[in-house]
Amino acid sequence: MLRRILVLAALAPCAIGAPAVEEAIPGLPAVKVRDLHYGDVLFYFYQHDHFDALVRLAAYRDQGHLAAHARDAELLRGGLYLSLGQHREAQEIFERILADAATPPEVRDRAWFYLGKVLYAAGLFAESERALQSSSGTLSPELDAERRLLLAQGFMYRQQYDRAIAELDVWQGPRLWLAYGQFNLGVALVRVGQKERGLGLLDSVGQIVSEWPELVALRDKANLAIGYAYLQAGEPAAARAALDRVRLSGPQSSKALLGAGWADAAAKQYEAALLPWQELQGRNLLDAAVQESYLAVPYAYAELGAMAQAVSYYEKAIAAYDAERSRIGESIGAIRSGRLLDAALKAERDGREGWFGQLADVPDSPESRYLYHLLAGHEFQEGLKNYRALEAMSKNLSGWSDSLGAFTDMVETRQKAFEMRLPAADARLATVDVAAVNGRRDALHARFETAIAERDVEALATEEERGQLDMLGEVDAELALHQGDAAYDDAREKARLARGVLLWKLDAAWKVRSWQGNRALRDLNAAVYDARTRETASMRAREGAPERNAALGARVKEASPRVAALGVRVDAAKSAQGRHLAEIAIEELEAQRHRLDEYSVQARYALATIYDRATANPPPTTPQGTP
Amino acid sequence: MRTLLISLLAAIAVSVPALADDAPEPTAERSALDAEVQSLRREVVDLNRDLFMLEEDLLFPASTQIAVFVSMDIGTFFALDSVQIKVDDKEVANYLYTDRELEALKRGGVHRIWLGNLKAGEHEVVAFFTGKGTHERDYKRGTTLKVEKGVGAKYVELKISDRVRKLQPEFVVRVWE
Repeated sequence: MLRRILVLAALAPCAIGAPAVEEAIPGLPAVKVRDLHYGDVLFYFYQHDHFDALVRLAAYRDQGHLAAHARDAELLRGGLYLSLGQHREAQEIFERILADAATPPEVRDRAWFYLGKVLYAAGLFAESERALQSSSGTLSPELDAERRLLLAQGFMYRQQYDRAIAELDVWQGPRLWLAYGQFNLGVALVRVGQKERGLGLLDSVGQIVSEWPELVALRDKANLAIGYAYLQAGEPAAARAALDRVRLSGPQSSKALLGAGWADAAAKQYEAALLPWQELQGRNLLDAAVQESYLAVPYAYAELGAMAQAVSYYEKAIAAYDAERSRIGESIGAIRSGRLLDAALKAERDGREGWFGQLADVPDSPESRYLYHLLAGHEFQEGLKNYRALEAMSKNLSGWSDSLGAFTDMVETRQKAFEMRLPAADARLATVDVAAVNGRRDALHARFETAIAERDVEALATEEERGQLDMLGEVDAELALHQGDAAYDDAREKARLARGVLLWKLDAAWKVRSWQGNRALRDLNAAVYDARTRETASMRAREGAPERNAALGARVKEASPRVAALGVRVDAAKSAQGRHLAEIAIEELEAQRHRLDEYSVQARYALATIYDRATANPPPTTPQGTP
Repeated sequence: MRTLLISLLAAIAVSVPALADDAPEPTAERSALDAEVQSLRREVVDLNRDLFMLEEDLLFPASTQIAVFVSMDIGTFFALDSVQIKVDDKEVANYLYTDRELEALKRGGVHRIWLGNLKAGEHEVVAFFTGKGTHERDYKRGTTLKVEKGVGAKYVELKISDRVRKLQPEFVVRVWE
């Protein structure tokens, strides 16, 4: 029994290991996102959609969108592979991070921790120990607690109980982890012979006051372990006290009720023993404790001398065993026809969480009747996880298969549309001569520069002023024909005055106009640059479009057989996995049927013994007339 | 009978933890299936990555691509219900958030609410945030941004943050290149 308790203890923290993957992101809970795409990955990751998170992470990494979070992203990728059960990929990633000398200490510590976890899951305890020992210092208290427990469990698997005790003995950590630590420490101490201290520690876990489901479940396990330990040691009162602390509705309750009955029976209190045992009789007969109770109740009545009740309960037991055997037979038939897996997948709520709990409420049909019981078995659970994963992969591939058909049409349509529009586009492009525009811009720029250098105010004249200057030029030319003629002196003076006024105006506007000219030239430069860019882009698009379309078409074409080939393999693996699950289920139900056969034989034997005794020692006949 | 029952009891006691927690050594058949599932999952992840990129390249080429993201810091003064996005007065996205998604946003996740195509030039992006403000009051706010779309992909972040001094939510728009 103790060996089994150790197994229980060693595996206990597995139940609370899953959330720790989220700690793979350094800096939680406040993640300062420096790449929007990294934030998009986290959006899916925080919703526990690990597959989508991983796909986006891989795609964004290859697209170069995660530069600012390169190391965090890599650590997260390893964590995601780990959470999907892809240990080999996770290990490769963590080892790569550790091989990089530039990895900061806090990322390095997390990588060591996760590598240790991967190795632990693979059963490589010595290697896991080395990795976990390398990680310390910067881990969060929760991760450090998990690290310590993994180390201790690794020691216990290798039966190095003293090292496990040394790891856990003086350790203080977060409450939940500490409770698991105390449980394991208690078990290790019992294992090395320090029973009193070990059971004391288990007892302290068994008396934890909490509403946290994890802790309550651990408390039940501790009390059950203590109860059976005391029962085997011949201390029924102590056993009863521990077993009474187990919840009546939890997964350990049937075993606790059975043990409580046996504690009473061991103290010769058969009437008291009947209470927990009869409580068991209303429960699922596939539970070993319930099956046992069907024999225990008539046994107690027999011990109390109530032979009529004993006979009645043995007959009830035989009938119940036979009925259950028949129901198991029906279920085996349903499983052989493949209906079990349909029921298991139907019971799943959203594929992410809560589905196991819901199985307790599945309808009582042959295919689903024993689902809850079967799922308590590790191998069936792991097999169903694989089956669900394959089902999801199959749906995913089927979705892509449809999309690829649409992609092919899209590429073809796009190519046809391009060919149709090409002549008109070419004609439009032919009318555009950006080089000529560029040349005119350069000439204008040169003229402006010269005007600025020579302070040529007339060069910046408006159209109207230019007309006035031209008119003054014509007047001057006319006046030149009458050189020396005094009759034109007045006109000459007026022309000089008018030119002076005009030049004075041009000079006054020079500063503003040169600034405006500069600005207009800058705008012109930008416009010409845009025109050149658009022309280049248009030319590139015109020349590159067929090539790009062909490349996209080739990628679609290349992906189609990949999707199809993977689909075939996934379907084959799904069928194999389904058959394997059915075999496990049938094997388990056959074993149950066999056990029920044995119980039935025992009940018949006990019944026969009572009848034999009754025949050998008939009750004295009551004289007639006796009141 | 008692001896028999005690032995059965011992068997049950031994099997108690095993039922719940013991992980038996995998059989050869299970190991082979596990290995195949692992290999398939790796290949399916790689294929999905390639197809995700292909889909983007095909439907949203970088030259015209624009993506709008929604992020949130603490969200004390605003409980987000939905976000509506209009581009050049045309509705392109209207997204209602679940509790799970809001939790992911609060923890640092960023939601790519819209991925689309725009021609080069200036465009107007308008976002409307609907939810509950302080004191459970219905709250709707809009924010506008002029986006100059060039030849490369454009990313717009709509960030909801808390303006502690004014006890009000703040809606910040930021353009990433």
